[in-house]
Amino acid sequence: MTVTAKKKKPAPYANPYAAGALLGVVLFAAFFLTGSGLGASGALQRYIAAIQDFISPNSVNQNAYLLKYAGGDREPLDNWLVYMSIGIVAGGFVSAWIHGRLSFTTGKGPRISVRTRWLMAFLGGIIMGYGARFARGCTSGQGLSGGTVLSVGSWAFLLAVFAGAYAVAYFFRRLWI
Amino acid sequence: MEHLFVSFPGPFPIQAMYGKIGFYTVTLLIGFGFGYMLEIGGFAKSEKLAAQFYLTDMTVFKVMFSAIVVAMVLVFGAAALGGLDYNRVFVNETYLWPGIVGGLIMGVGFVIGGY
Repeated sequence: MTVTAKKKKPAPYANPYAAGALLGVVLFAAFFLTGSGLGASGALQRYIAAIQDFISPNSVNQNAYLLKYAGGDREPLDNWLVYMSIGIVAGGFVSAWIHGRLSFTTGKGPRISVRTRWLMAFLGGIIMGYGARFARGCTSGQGLSGGTVLSVGSWAFLLAVFAGAYAVAYFFRRLWI
Repeated sequence: MEHLFVSFPGPFPIQAMYGKIGFYTVTLLIGFGFGYMLEIGGFAKSEKLAAQFYLTDMTVFKVMFSAIVVAMVLVFGAAALGGLDYNRVFVNETYLWPGIVGGLIMGVGFVIGGY
């Protein structure tokens, strides 16, 4: 350790197989303790229901889908997935902090502007949110968790995610390479 | 060896045992582990994830599939030893075409959004 090394250099990422194995242990712990795997998009869906219920309760009352989560005496945020999502953000933050990787940056390819990247992130998020509800789950709830317990639909979903991504990657290469 | 832990198999009715606060605390801690492991694998960096689709960095494949394989072996191993009551484990019901179409849409969003 030299005296001049004032700023902590970001630690390298873990070996991907090791990180995956540890993630697998967490996934197993979720099944072992609660009987369900991991989930992420379910919480987002509940945040949306809560926001819509706050801004425009009438529109929730006219929407059969949202009424399953909000409206009446239903509290959309009173759900384990919401707490899991808080934990996910906290865990990622703490890990980045410990490993010296915390910073305000916009991760993007070299050929696009920060503004374009943000627009594309927002657009991609909308598409992913739509797809996740269409498929009844995202890469966490449907892919990782369903894949672990060998749900046929989950494996079809998982392969479709990669197929869809590879099919269009060429056309969006400017965003990343 | 068979039914080694049969007297107290998971999953546990945590909400009935420790109330809602106990249950939410457990799921928050599981989420913490999830987020932590994703971060050490590099999943907080969109360029790294998107690189999977240009075949310059295979981290997404390596992390996701090793996680699934490890969890699968642990889940079915625990079930075989009687430590986990598989009948009470949530298994996603199969909706084949919604899953495939939704998955394709998500894949497109993944490349555009980067996460």
